[in-house]
Amino acid sequence: MAEDAKACAKDMPEAALVPSEHLRFINRFTVTRAETCISCGLCACLCPYGVHKRVEGHVKILPPDDRRCIGPSCEVNYFFCVANCPTNSLSVGPSETFVCLGDPRWTSEMILATWAMSETGRPLPLDHPGNIGASGGGFDKLHFKLPELKGKVDPDQICTTIDLNRRGSGTKIRIPIPIYGGGMSFGSVSTNTMLARAKAAKRWNTFTCTGEGGYPDVLIPYKDYVITQIATGLFGVREETIQRTRVIEFKYAQGAKPGLGGHLLHDKNTPEVARMREAVPYTSLFSPFPFHSVYSVEDHKKHLDWAQSINPKALLSVKVSTPNDVEMVAVGSYYAGAHIVHLDGGYGGTGAAPEIAKKNIAMPIEYAIPKVHKFLVKEGIREQVTLIASGGLRTALDVAKAIALGADGAVIGTADLVALSCVRCGNCESGRGCPRGIATTDPGLDKLTDADWGAERISNLYGAWRLQWCELLARLGMTDISELRGRTDLLVHGNGQPRGSSK
Amino acid sequence: MALPSMGWEVSAMKYERYHIPLKSVPGRVGPVPKFVIIRADNCINCGKCEKSCIYGVHKRSEADLRKMADPDNNLCKNCFRCIQDCPQRALTMMVGPDYKALGRGLWTSLRIFTIWSESETGKIPVFGAGYRGLFAGPGYDGMWTDMSEIVRPTRDGIHGREYISTSVDLGSRPAWLEFDKAGALVTDMPPIVELQVPFVIDTTRLRSATDAMKTGMARAAKHVDSLLFAAPDSLSREAASELNAHFVPVYAEGTDLRSIVLPRGARMAALTLGSNWKEDAKRFKSMYPQTVLAFRVNAGKDVEKRVLDLVKAKVDVAHVLFDEEGMELDSVEPRYAKDSLRAIHKALVSKSVRDQITIIAGGGIAAAEHVPKTLICGADVVALEKAAVLALECRDCMTCSMGSCPVNMGDAPAEWIENRVTNLMGAWRDQLLEVLGAMGLREVRRLRGELGRAIFFEDVERESFSDIEGGAGDG
Repeated sequence: MAEDAKACAKDMPEAALVPSEHLRFINRFTVTRAETCISCGLCACLCPYGVHKRVEGHVKILPPDDRRCIGPSCEVNYFFCVANCPTNSLSVGPSETFVCLGDPRWTSEMILATWAMSETGRPLPLDHPGNIGASGGGFDKLHFKLPELKGKVDPDQICTTIDLNRRGSGTKIRIPIPIYGGGMSFGSVSTNTMLARAKAAKRWNTFTCTGEGGYPDVLIPYKDYVITQIATGLFGVREETIQRTRVIEFKYAQGAKPGLGGHLLHDKNTPEVARMREAVPYTSLFSPFPFHSVYSVEDHKKHLDWAQSINPKALLSVKVSTPNDVEMVAVGSYYAGAHIVHLDGGYGGTGAAPEIAKKNIAMPIEYAIPKVHKFLVKEGIREQVTLIASGGLRTALDVAKAIALGADGAVIGTADLVALSCVRCGNCESGRGCPRGIATTDPGLDKLTDADWGAERISNLYGAWRLQWCELLARLGMTDISELRGRTDLLVHGNGQPRGSSK
Repeated sequence: MALPSMGWEVSAMKYERYHIPLKSVPGRVGPVPKFVIIRADNCINCGKCEKSCIYGVHKRSEADLRKMADPDNNLCKNCFRCIQDCPQRALTMMVGPDYKALGRGLWTSLRIFTIWSESETGKIPVFGAGYRGLFAGPGYDGMWTDMSEIVRPTRDGIHGREYISTSVDLGSRPAWLEFDKAGALVTDMPPIVELQVPFVIDTTRLRSATDAMKTGMARAAKHVDSLLFAAPDSLSREAASELNAHFVPVYAEGTDLRSIVLPRGARMAALTLGSNWKEDAKRFKSMYPQTVLAFRVNAGKDVEKRVLDLVKAKVDVAHVLFDEEGMELDSVEPRYAKDSLRAIHKALVSKSVRDQITIIAGGGIAAAEHVPKTLICGADVVALEKAAVLALECRDCMTCSMGSCPVNMGDAPAEWIENRVTNLMGAWRDQLLEVLGAMGLREVRRLRGELGRAIFFEDVERESFSDIEGGAGDG
């Protein structure tokens, strides 16, 4: 076993520090200097973090740089500025700006932790609050029963590889980490964002996905790491895009808007996007729901056969949402010939979606995974299916919990975007798109994201996550992530009714 | 230029799809900003924030171009670009204090804010970047509606390619029709009111309802083909003649039925369940056999038995009342409407009398998703109460009785009220269509009591997590 692990843990990309100074604009704490300050400069002499500064020759001291402040816990130090100020002009407290960032699912801690991992590639300690959200249910209530670490974690001895084809025949594809990138179309995001994801996927020998918006030519050099998605609108789907890929993904539904098809609101359908999608510029584009050629499992099989005959070597992935009968859908997909059954639960997603669909239609992924896993085991076909989960998996621990619930691996969307400096403000759906230059096709804004910078950050995030999985597995006494699958006995649930009312 | 006559135009062929026309109806007072940007004194007026912000929050002062004007917080969308780019770190953001102070309990600040924007634009709220709220919650927050996929048919009603009906009937429906030998109908047809939307407006329990509000809401009800429930004599004489068909007078408990005169053209009336309600029902039926009779019942312990009694007394409609939070009123251990309505529906089904009575559920309907969820739990129609007032920019501050309304509700003109409430109902109907489309249903009548097409928190939690330590199975 250890030998195998050693083999599959070989050639992992190295982390590189990515300069991201501009993202350090937010801190948990704020330092206020009152009018009574006499600019004596004592604080500037004392603070070792550089919060207080006086420019050489200036009478007045600069306003405090509270991004560097370590907060009220500093009071134990002899240099605590608040206690030392002779005029009592300084105070330290929680930052209002920090409270404005994030939400119960992606807390501000989680966003900052993801940024830190993207910048340095260093893993987050498994007990850090940034690993878990505050939504009060699902993954946020599931915890691993973790024994203390004995000895040191050696990432070279731990295998996080998964097989994407577990059937007896067809191309074998293994990815060294149990995640790949979810579909985000050209139009919903910029080519720079797509390119950053593709470059990171290449470095990790995993995949990203085109989404339903065509296959921009800039991605062709990365074609072995890009999944071609066939979705209901068939926007930009051509024979050659199906032929060049190693994995074809059929998108029946997406968790962000189960049962509603895709939306690209008119503002974002710029002439370039429209050309790619063979549509009229500045019209709203809706992918219908469902595939109007698929009204039964038999139709579904015909559909898969059609794509397989265009590209016989490719693996077939079927992306479905999580209705009550999700296990029947999964079994049907397997018998129709799918290699990968991809469950996309609500609560996730990156694209424009009606608010009513996000919380209220179809079940969260946490419920769907064990349901499908147990059913596939009962049917005796669990070992032939690669079960992939997505939709609200935000951290490495969420992925591990999904695997413990019964999935083989996961698909990541939002975390990639957060690595690219997304703050989850949710305004990417209309107008010029993302004000931060990620989910936009605006010719000015898309320059804000540099593809190489983004690739490094996503790659760092994957690396940090891998190290987190390594520590987790080591503490559980495992050497291979496949041992974790279905081990619900390792989880503990903080039970009780979910608290509070919905936000 | 006159168009040439088509010749074949027959009135019966003039088919019009039901549709609620919507238009932008701006608020009368300024909006409440969700986020507030504060510019500190060390700003050097470099103008970098103006370039950064794509929403136009930051502008130079028009009076003095050397200075930056105060940020226009209503435009801020929380993207942090200006804060990130400010070379002086002079900008900070905070959650708007007025926004934070909005709402309580079920009526969260976000829900109130959403109702305001739905009433202003008539549009479905759409955002990117996924769900950002809590995992689940009490009441309706602990349930999900089902969807159709691959193995079930679906409907594309959202973009108008297929028609999904949202019309419902109020009244008792005979299980079958009988005809005599000559083919004439012999079944005694009970009166029925058909609505185009499964919601009505009820002003009777509002903290304050001005005449303009009642007239405006009644017009909105007419506009979308729904009903307004209000105290008798709520409408002025001139409004009444035009609106009575969409007006339901609600008589308080203890009203002497011999003294009442139904408004001309009223199709329905509501009485309040009191001690001698059985006599009242009998008397009303003999006085107005062609008017739909509703009884208002407070939800509480054994409400299902009281509804069954109403069926026996041949009452057409039971209007079940919950409190603002969507919980039972008369009970020591109040249930959520979700559970109470399921109990009523199941009781009626088990006695095979479900179609003999229509259930209206009112109270705790705070968001568009509550409409389909209430229907799934067993109601036929949903009553909008507080939501209709929030459509008028109400801040839910509860100071109405003190006469110090921050939005001067008393001055709101009826026409503005009509348009705002119409927008709200239009946006909610469109969202209902989204849910019906996802579920593969062609008409909202099919949604009633479709418990199998819903996912309940306690069920899935048990099903999926019972084998996990501390999971639902352990208690």
